[in-house]
Amino acid sequence: MRIRASIAAVVIALAAVVGTVVMGGAQDKTLSIGVLGPLSGGAASYGVELVRGAEMKADEINKAGGLKVGADTYRIKLVSYDHKALAADAATAANKLVFQDKVKYIIGNAVGATCNAVQTVTEPEKVLFSFVCWGTNNLGPDKPHSFRVMLSQWEVAEPFYRWVKEKHPQIKRVAAISPNDTSGKDTNTAVVKALKALGFEVAADEYYERGTKDFYPILTKILAAKPDMLDVAAAPAGEGGLILKQARELGFKGAKGWTAGTNPFTIIGVAGKDAAEGVWSPANINVRSDFVSATVRRFGAEYEKRYNEVPGVIAVANYAAFDVITKAMQEARSLDTDKVLAALTQKPFETVWGRLVIGGKETYGIDRQFLYPVVISEVRDGKVVDIAQVLPTALKK
Amino acid sequence: MSIDLLVQALLNGFGLAMVYVLVALGLTLIFSILEIINFAHGEFYMLGGYVTYYAFAVFGLNYFATLGFAILAVGLAGVVAERLIFRYLRGKTLNAFIVSLGLLWVMQASAQLSFGVLDKPVPSAFSGIVRAFGLVISVERLVVSLSAIVLIAALYLFLRWSRPGRAMRAVAQDADAAALQGVDIELVSALGFGIGCALAGGAGGLLAPVFAVSPAMGALPVVKAFIIIIIGGMGSLPGAVVGGLLLGSVEGLGSLFMGSAAVSVLGFLVVILALLVRPRGLFGGA
Amino acid sequence: MEPSRGLSAPPGRALSAPIAGLALLAAGVVALPQLTRDSYYLDVATTILMNLALTMSLRLQVSTGQLNMAHISFMGIGAYASALLVTRVGISFWAALPIAAVVAALLAFPIGGLALRVTGPYYFLITFAFSEVVRLFFNNFFVDLFGGPSGLVGIPKPSALPWFGRALTFTTKLELYTLMAALLLVTAAVLVRLEHSRFGLVASAIRQGDLLAETLGVNVFRYKLTAYVVGSLVAGVAGAFFAHSHQVLHSSDFGLEPMVLLVVFTVIGGTGSVWGPVAGTVLMTIAGELLRELHHYESLVFGVVLILTMLWAPDGLVALPGKLARRRRAGVSLAP
Repeated sequence: MRIRASIAAVVIALAAVVGTVVMGGAQDKTLSIGVLGPLSGGAASYGVELVRGAEMKADEINKAGGLKVGADTYRIKLVSYDHKALAADAATAANKLVFQDKVKYIIGNAVGATCNAVQTVTEPEKVLFSFVCWGTNNLGPDKPHSFRVMLSQWEVAEPFYRWVKEKHPQIKRVAAISPNDTSGKDTNTAVVKALKALGFEVAADEYYERGTKDFYPILTKILAAKPDMLDVAAAPAGEGGLILKQARELGFKGAKGWTAGTNPFTIIGVAGKDAAEGVWSPANINVRSDFVSATVRRFGAEYEKRYNEVPGVIAVANYAAFDVITKAMQEARSLDTDKVLAALTQKPFETVWGRLVIGGKETYGIDRQFLYPVVISEVRDGKVVDIAQVLPTALKK
Repeated sequence: MSIDLLVQALLNGFGLAMVYVLVALGLTLIFSILEIINFAHGEFYMLGGYVTYYAFAVFGLNYFATLGFAILAVGLAGVVAERLIFRYLRGKTLNAFIVSLGLLWVMQASAQLSFGVLDKPVPSAFSGIVRAFGLVISVERLVVSLSAIVLIAALYLFLRWSRPGRAMRAVAQDADAAALQGVDIELVSALGFGIGCALAGGAGGLLAPVFAVSPAMGALPVVKAFIIIIIGGMGSLPGAVVGGLLLGSVEGLGSLFMGSAAVSVLGFLVVILALLVRPRGLFGGA
Repeated sequence: MEPSRGLSAPPGRALSAPIAGLALLAAGVVALPQLTRDSYYLDVATTILMNLALTMSLRLQVSTGQLNMAHISFMGIGAYASALLVTRVGISFWAALPIAAVVAALLAFPIGGLALRVTGPYYFLITFAFSEVVRLFFNNFFVDLFGGPSGLVGIPKPSALPWFGRALTFTTKLELYTLMAALLLVTAAVLVRLEHSRFGLVASAIRQGDLLAETLGVNVFRYKLTAYVVGSLVAGVAGAFFAHSHQVLHSSDFGLEPMVLLVVFTVIGGTGSVWGPVAGTVLMTIAGELLRELHHYESLVFGVVLILTMLWAPDGLVALPGKLARRRRAGVSLAP
């Protein structure tokens, strides 16, 4: 029986492998574009928003007859995979996208370390890879095919705090708190750097484990340092809201900021009107506000109708990224990634964000960062109100 | 570092410890009776959270009524899970582990597909802050902790004095002997699993207004529950309470002096130490 | 679990079965690249081979009655050790690999020694606690060394190996596949040999009852610790390979999620046989990859597959053919 068992095992295994190889599917003559992200688990909101943003733009293009590039018209097919926020899984999924699905464009990924993992596959194969990952080392001259499509803390922190210093000079001590991972570490670093450069005092520079809900212990420590302003930096909406709510419960009445914030409505909901009052946020978008264009408002309404949830900035960012990259393909009249790359970095684009330029050479050594105006919003009486627009330093030229 | 700060830190740590003890008790009850470690326990907690969201936040039912409803609903879900799946795995710890893992994925994915991916806030039923002796605690947390204590006490009384409770304890001690004495093992198994899940659901309902609900919200409480059970000893109710208080103090005080990662490491090191000193936990029996 | 297995085969004889198994494995491993050169398939196959090394060594530990949730941590230790030895100290991959494996094994002594003081679910939980400590360590401490939450990047692939005047490179997917295949076949041979030796017999006895084994004069602790250290050594080798084939390391690669998958592969395959993990790893990895097509529904379906498989094949997939044969012969339905 032992012999039978062992033979059976290996035969089953072999058959499965052979079967899969033989069954390998044929390719459609459409343009396949990949999307990667965490579609399950704690970070699922990022991945799901990336896919939805891409879906909305892809469907728009397909409904209008397809993407016309040069003499050909393509139907766009989205291929999305879940990497569960695990670096090794992301590499495998990227391999599948590049070698089996034969994509040359991956528009969308989130969660720092997974971006590095995907890049080990995309860069050698010259696959254009755009993401929202905030890791500083995700962009660089050694990674010419990688783009960040959303303003990261490096672009946002300095203009934001410059505005704070100008409009609210009574704020001297700032405390920053972020999750303990790549984006959190990079965000706090950027915030602290901006604070120090602008002459603020750093009251606290703290991290918490992603998934934490009870912030009393860490807040007790932070509030003991008597900050004038609390910045929940890279905390996602749910956790950021909890931090603000609990800070209020512990007696904090100072100013509040959310440098890397994404979904204002959730934070208001979670923190409660009281605690969320006055929160400044430079990195989100309020698709319902009067400040944004009709396009954005339409996008927001359609998104909400289709998915039953309000879009966060990541969904908008990927929608815009898809828009920009497909426009660049049309500009270049080619699907060759090097030609599209050239077209991307040449001139500004008009997008849902407004005028968008691809720059960032001073920070990263290469122009691969999407730059657009930073809109600072404030929560007033449970509503998100846009109050100022500042330009990232690199865009001021 | 003033004494006030230290005591506040301790209070913070204790604040929600009792709710995590509830989760731990559910887990340890299931282990005692069915000898399986239910990895999907956190998903029943999450279920309790969503039931509370829909009943309280969306439909506007009274909070305590919602809590009762959540406890019953999740308990029922637990019984269904036991009858369909776990009854076949009694005593097979390894297999049950794999199956409960599968159930975890099924439940979490279903929650994500049904309820959406974003955090859903649940309004607080109790607002206000209580200040006494220079310490601060929100009314909400106070009510939540007291409710948890009431539920723990209710569980204790149930296990001690009621007939089904005594039957459960008999099975936990020695299933074969209990069967010989005429205890209906199938009934006790279903009831035990159901009550275990009900406790998790209740904890989820209690913490929903405090923390908001999301599909993955069960991950962290289940880890805390494991830590509490190991420290206190599997199968021991007082052990779980002491374990919860110990974990709470370590986390509360630890956060004052070190970063969150270090606090987590500290928590695990305490677990390892506790197990080495008393291999069956502080109160663990044979 | 299978009382008829170990005790009826005296060591040294009946080696035809395991040799046949090894030969089949080797044949399968060699055959694959002849069937396909597709990078994605080779990548998945390489991952399968690496996971085989991990699950077969995990199974070695399970065979002595221990479910070691820290197995993946030793993979991590091997990975970071090798990566740092190559990038910081400057030695070649070929020197770093054995050193990294030894580092993992050395650390396995104290960790295993401590963990083995407790049993059953406590052992499971204490090893889980250890694994979290290790993961948090790699994620948050000595960030300059380990890369912190951003991970360790820029790890080079294995350097070329001189071989009879030529140089064997290990840069393409096929070459890396070959390297892992070689490592796996050696590992499998060792583990199979162990299984069909006195060690395997004693392990089986221990698995059925520590007390019983002790009354037979067995130093249970020593056997278990040996299994622990040997298993961790293999995990360290797999880790070193992982580091240099993926070129990026992150603490999440060595946390609960991948560990849990290893347990799934091993148990679904069947812990009663040294070949169980082979069936489990190959089939479940392929299933997982096929399920990627389902995008949002991936975890849901995978979870259902797990539940159903475990309920219908409680002794693992590898025991199914035998069970079905028995059922046919006996004409009696055996309850699950």
